[in-house]
Amino acid sequence: MPGSVRLLLFGPAREAVGRAALDRPLAAEGATLGELVDAVAEEFLALRPVLQASRLAVNGRYASDRRLRLAPGDEIAVHPPYSGG
Amino acid sequence: MSVALVRRPLSIARAYEELQRPESGGVAVFVGTVRPDRTRRGRVVALEYDAHVPMALAALEALERRVVRRYRLTGAVAWHRLGVLPVGTAAVIVGAAAPHRAAALRACAGLIEELKREVPIWKTDRARRARRRRRPTGRPRGRAAGSRRAR
Repeated sequence: MPGSVRLLLFGPAREAVGRAALDRPLAAEGATLGELVDAVAEEFLALRPVLQASRLAVNGRYASDRRLRLAPGDEIAVHPPYSGG
Repeated sequence: MSVALVRRPLSIARAYEELQRPESGGVAVFVGTVRPDRTRRGRVVALEYDAHVPMALAALEALERRVVRRYRLTGAVAWHRLGVLPVGTAAVIVGAAAPHRAAALRACAGLIEELKREVPIWKTDRARRARRRRRPTGRPRGRAAGSRRAR
């Protein structure tokens, strides 16, 4: 089984998709962070502008390298600009 | 030192208790509350706060450590509430205690500014349109009461 990864969506990203999390299967050969993000942006057009302004984190660490190879069970968080306080 | 993300009401009295010590000559506490801002969708009646909890707690702890070191504080708190909060509700409390007031005041301002920039917390507004008054149909007879148009 290739397994899957979970995308966590917060704030405007959650509003754009209408859900707080998305599970996506990984291809047998795996996928990179960039490929996953592009596929989700293709699927949810309203998420595109939010993704452009967002930081990504993989398993609780910020990740900026789109070539990062994902593994089954990884959690990818989409962090739009923060607005706490 | 204390950081927290909670769903229960925040207590200013508890924040002060956490900060107050004999050596703390200055204690500064900031409370951020939900404002009834106007938006395109109407007047804000509540804000919903959401956080990426493990990363937000780690960021709050790092921020608090840094500010405590920078201003040589004797105590600090950074508490944020999550969930749907009506207008007027306290959403965040930060506080700083130091031997003298200048450090406490500067540290308190630093805590809230850096929290807003660095901690993965988001708010989304819940707005409501004001009901429009229905205009009476037909032509009014004579001048309406309260009309003060100058000629």
